[in-house]
Amino acid sequence: MYILKNSLISIIRNKGRNILIGIIILVISCSATVTLAIRNTANKLVKNYEEAHDIIATISFNRQQLSNNFKGGEDARKENIEAFNNIEAITIDAVKKYGESDYLKDYYYVYATSLNSETLTKATDSFEYEVEDRQTTTSSSTTTEGGGNYGMGRPMQGEGGMHTITNNNTTTVITRSKEIFQSSRNLTGDFELDGYSSYDAMTNFVDGTYQISDGEMITDFSNLECVISSELASLNEISVGDTITLKNDNIEKTYDFTVKGIYKDNSNENDSINMYSPSANQIITGSSVIEKLVEDDSSLVTNVTPSFILKDEGVIEAFSSELKEKGLNEYYAVNTNLDQIESATKSIENVKTFATTFLIITLIIASIVLFVINMINIRERKYEIGVFRTIGVSKFKLTMQFVLEILIVSIICLSIGAVTGAFLSKPVGNSLLKSEIETSKNAEQEISNNFGRGDKMGPMEMNHNGMVNVTEIDSIDAVVDFTVIAQLLGIGIFLSLISSLASMISIQRFSPLTILKERS
Amino acid sequence: MGILKLENVAYRYKDAPKDKYVFKNINYEFEQGKMYAIKGKSGSGKTTLLSLITGLEKCTEGHVFYDGKDLKKMNLDKYRNTEIGIVFQSYNLLPRLTAIENVILSMDVSKVKVTNKKQKALELIKSVGLSEEHCNRRILKLSGGEQQRIAIARSLSYNPKIIIADEPTGNLDKDTEAEILGIFKHLAKDENKCIIIVTHSQNVCNEVDVIYELK
Repeated sequence: MYILKNSLISIIRNKGRNILIGIIILVISCSATVTLAIRNTANKLVKNYEEAHDIIATISFNRQQLSNNFKGGEDARKENIEAFNNIEAITIDAVKKYGESDYLKDYYYVYATSLNSETLTKATDSFEYEVEDRQTTTSSSTTTEGGGNYGMGRPMQGEGGMHTITNNNTTTVITRSKEIFQSSRNLTGDFELDGYSSYDAMTNFVDGTYQISDGEMITDFSNLECVISSELASLNEISVGDTITLKNDNIEKTYDFTVKGIYKDNSNENDSINMYSPSANQIITGSSVIEKLVEDDSSLVTNVTPSFILKDEGVIEAFSSELKEKGLNEYYAVNTNLDQIESATKSIENVKTFATTFLIITLIIASIVLFVINMINIRERKYEIGVFRTIGVSKFKLTMQFVLEILIVSIICLSIGAVTGAFLSKPVGNSLLKSEIETSKNAEQEISNNFGRGDKMGPMEMNHNGMVNVTEIDSIDAVVDFTVIAQLLGIGIFLSLISSLASMISIQRFSPLTILKERS
Repeated sequence: MGILKLENVAYRYKDAPKDKYVFKNINYEFEQGKMYAIKGKSGSGKTTLLSLITGLEKCTEGHVFYDGKDLKKMNLDKYRNTEIGIVFQSYNLLPRLTAIENVILSMDVSKVKVTNKKQKALELIKSVGLSEEHCNRRILKLSGGEQQRIAIARSLSYNPKIIIADEPTGNLDKDTEAEILGIFKHLAKDENKCIIIVTHSQNVCNEVDVIYELK
């Protein structure tokens, strides 16, 4: 008990020295609180982010591999094209086989085909119109009139034709033909029918690119139910509950789909200049529906886009090898969104590294400064040590008293520093992250400019087929929680011990009689 | 039988040659109720002998027995804070504490059972001739004589059987020296303490019962 009493008296009666030590510890604890809060919050953010964003593998065509196998010369062109045509497309059966892997948490796919319709108008910025060409022959002259039509946007029935009107000495040859008026941009003709295997596969809905604006998402993936775009619905005056008829021209069979919902494509602001969004003619249904269509007509051209949710990043290579073993053609490559995830957390990782480095440097400098101050302090208090030892205070108790003095000062200053740090950590953390993001974006902008693409390139705009868009973490909101307090306490004890090391060594080494003799 | 006995005590510094002793074959015995003086020239080893008696150093050869127990087998910190009181020439009080706090600290260290430590400290300070007014003064605000009285009061705070003083009057004037020696005499005769004074002062030697001389 007297040790504590002596420590308190010593702290109170040696104000100058203890205030100096206190200021150093206060600065350390404040910066340690900020850096620990940033570091811990960043760790949590990255962990949560990685948990929230699965590592998804997709299969893409490996054009590099194909070009490596190309033969040179004009004569080999046909051979090359034939080789290309012989590359097997990924089938739905193959995808299901690949999906049965121990490396996967789950998998999903989009099974797509295209159908036509006789009742639906395609959402397109082109239309056909009829052109009439009249050639009038008289006995004395021939005049030609062209460019007449029977109304824009009205599709012409039949393949056009020619007839002749003879009136007195005038013969008029009328030639009718179809012409397409369209913008210079490329167009698609069919309705794209995307069959999703599960809700997870509907990545555009998951990441908010698409949003149901009326009705609801399909509930049965095997019924002839669908969700259509708001543009297609508006163009054809379709409401939820209506039926649309699509036709497979190959087998002259029609399918009646019930419209369960209408979705809005929110991505069209960033599209190139088109009257309709690329998704306007996209009709969403279940993958089992597409399988039924294929059963009816095996020659139906389909396309399957699988997404495999991996258990963790460590299985990427193993999964890739497994797909090869299961027969994945050499011209296909397995890609993941790992780079995207790492890119999204890169800025925060940089801030975390900075915080950790800063903390380590601060602690090293602080430890040295405190050790030196205490060494000087011990030299000043050598006499005191001698007196204590002479009156029978054990080395252990004396050491305890010196450690306790530092510990009391440390705890008081750590508490003040922790409170100050708690207020500073959020703005400092966000400011550091903002600065880091700006630096990162400037670097990307510079690269984009080099490509002449202005601000149209960057990680925020990356979108891989079958993967959810990964967005960057742009706010850290560092908080001082129990972990930070515990770590701070650990730092306090560590610093106290380091700074008390001088007194510990001195107390063990000093002979009380020598000290007192020197004093005399 | 004496309270303290030195048996064939010899001391050599650790870094000194094997045959170079500060002193050798010391056989002294000290009893309660008597005053002793250990005298000798400078460098004869008086303070070294004091450090052996107080357990601040260990003898190279021989034994120091306190109340029949060998110091080598005793807890020397406990020995110093309960059995023996030490008074130094330069007082060795803690300057950051007041006079009374120095005395109370000594009681705290010895864990002596006293109901009211402050009252007991005050009594001790009064017993060495100081007033209540001196109690709350910082050590450096006291004169040499007053400091030495506080040092004696501190050494008495846990009621030890032996008080050993190293040149206790070396820094004091003659009147104060006489007063301090009077206190020691009172402690030996009336309080049955064993007083050992390391000195080269003839005045001190004249007041003691036994003189041991180191050569």
